[in-house]
Amino acid sequence: MVAAVELSISERVQLQFEVEQFLYFEASLLDERKLDEWLNLCAEDIHYWMPIRRTTTAKEVAREFTAPDAMAFFNDNKAMLALRVQRLSVGRAWAEDPPSRTRRFVSNVRVLDVVGDDIRIGLNFHLYRTRLDSEEDSWYGRREDVLRRTPNGFNLAQRHIFLDQTVILAQNMSNLF
Amino acid sequence: MNTALQPSTSMPWFDVNKGILDRRIFADPAIYKLELERIFARGWNFVAHESQIPATGDFFMSFIGEDQVIVVRDRKGDVQVLINSCPHRGNTVCRAEQGHTNSFFCSYHGWNFDLDGRLVGMPGEEAFYRKDIDKAAWGLTRAAQVTSYRGFVFATLDAAAPPLEEYLGWVGRLGLDMMASKGELEVVDGVVKNRLKCNWKLAVDNLYDWYHVGVSHGSAMRLGLLTTEGNAPDSQMVILGEYGHGIGGPGISEAQFADMESRLVHGKAGEPQWYDRTGINRLSAEVRAELGPVGYRSLGHPSIFPNLWIALTNQICLRIPRGPFETELWWFTMVPKSLTAEQRREAVFVATHYFGPAGLLEQDDGENWSHSTRGAQGSVSQRRPVNYAMGIGQDRVYEDSSGQSAIETVVNEHGQRWTYQAWQEWMLAEDWDALKKNHSQPPRGSV
Ligand code: FES
Ligand SMILES: [Fe+2]
Repeated sequence: MVAAVELSISERVQLQFEVEQFLYFEASLLDERKLDEWLNLCAEDIHYWMPIRRTTTAKEVAREFTAPDAMAFFNDNKAMLALRVQRLSVGRAWAEDPPSRTRRFVSNVRVLDVVGDDIRIGLNFHLYRTRLDSEEDSWYGRREDVLRRTPNGFNLAQRHIFLDQTVILAQNMSNLF
Repeated sequence: MNTALQPSTSMPWFDVNKGILDRRIFADPAIYKLELERIFARGWNFVAHESQIPATGDFFMSFIGEDQVIVVRDRKGDVQVLINSCPHRGNTVCRAEQGHTNSFFCSYHGWNFDLDGRLVGMPGEEAFYRKDIDKAAWGLTRAAQVTSYRGFVFATLDAAAPPLEEYLGWVGRLGLDMMASKGELEVVDGVVKNRLKCNWKLAVDNLYDWYHVGVSHGSAMRLGLLTTEGNAPDSQMVILGEYGHGIGGPGISEAQFADMESRLVHGKAGEPQWYDRTGINRLSAEVRAELGPVGYRSLGHPSIFPNLWIALTNQICLRIPRGPFETELWWFTMVPKSLTAEQRREAVFVATHYFGPAGLLEQDDGENWSHSTRGAQGSVSQRRPVNYAMGIGQDRVYEDSSGQSAIETVVNEHGQRWTYQAWQEWMLAEDWDALKKNHSQPPRGSV
């Protein structure tokens, strides 16, 4: 494992640029509902996970998120993600018909470490969603993604989503983060 | 003028004989306020499962109506249900959703409460109060009664409520027994919570609704996550109990039961059938005896009045009112402790992917309820009562010699009608004495 700080400054600048460009591209596919294309960017062994966050006392804050073997909002492998994508194409997926309008922002992107082809990154995100005449949802949080270098560019090998909400203040989460 | 709009004292909102309902009950703040008093503050409410608070000092925050309650294991090992409001000024004494504590220390002036709610200390007891405060009189408000049924903790804020087992009756108990028959249960960490813009009753009545599945969940159907066969539209069973409890959904026939039995006996391989998949061991003689000759054939959704749904997927869901137009759904996942690691993983996987806000099924439900709530708010749209009349007068109640009974029929709205009939009786009754006297017994004969 190479910690990002061990890379030379020019290597870091280049890596940062590549990583950010991939994140912007991938977010645009989701915003534009090009979900099949997005799915193609996912590695076969992707782990897509959003644990549940709870309000705890400051003393117990280490236990605010559920563990990977416990309940979660998302705990998907590639087959499950494919099912979510397919769901939107078979009809009668009412949560997204009429479709929601989404805008994704990523910022504070940091390369955490590099293990072989896998680049682990941390970032903050904002997903804004509006639908029909007056529905509005806004999700903020932190992500820990793993981008994997392949001959065809990056693949997404991990997306761990740590939402800032505890009770989800939305009628559903029919979108991908 | 439409006569259905003229409330009479005997039948103000729901016309039981016609199955039509005044939809203003989904929108009127005065009705909502009365619900909090006459239903939530009066009934027995599920608040937690014992496995969530195994040790002294463990707590889980829950709700009875809009009263927030702390469910906590005290020093004697008993479960206490305490209203989370300091008697000094009303502030909350606990702000975490769950955790472990030695006491509840109010962050306003520092009154400190023991795990059983007793006021045990405060700053300035001598210097400022000059010892002139009766601590015994100023503890946290305790639920009037707390009882655990097979690990499911219920509380009522009304001292006049009948004992829990009597309140549940055989139907409420059967609903919980279906879950508990799987073995000693434990809640998987993480209660899934989200908020819908709907009236709580629309979420509740939906649990009986096997009519919406093919349409609302059409996408899940087309993906093969649900099947028409599994929804058994032609083989529905509705079991109705006192005070509004009920169980509605598919029933398995004797032939299907025989098929399960023969595959067990002859060790026939192959895909399990839809009726094998609830995790209830219907083939065990003990489970069969426990659930009874009618109960063991039900794959339906039990509803404990007012707001607990026991789902088939190792989950239960509370529908918590947060104002007339908002409801919080809380999904608790509970699995038998005896599961292997692999079986547990599988159960958690299913629970994660079907229900909850990101669930492949449930994503599509909420909007129907929120828009039905919206439809109850238009000044003209709300004048038109809504239709709960499916199957009315078409069916008969089958009574088994054991005393259990069920309606066996096709997709229907008996469960919803029973819910609103009971709801109306709860709302009209001044107190428990009146409700005990004036509530309907489950129907017999033609329904
Ligand atoms: S409000 Fe709790 S101590 Fe004053
Ligand atoms: Fe549904």
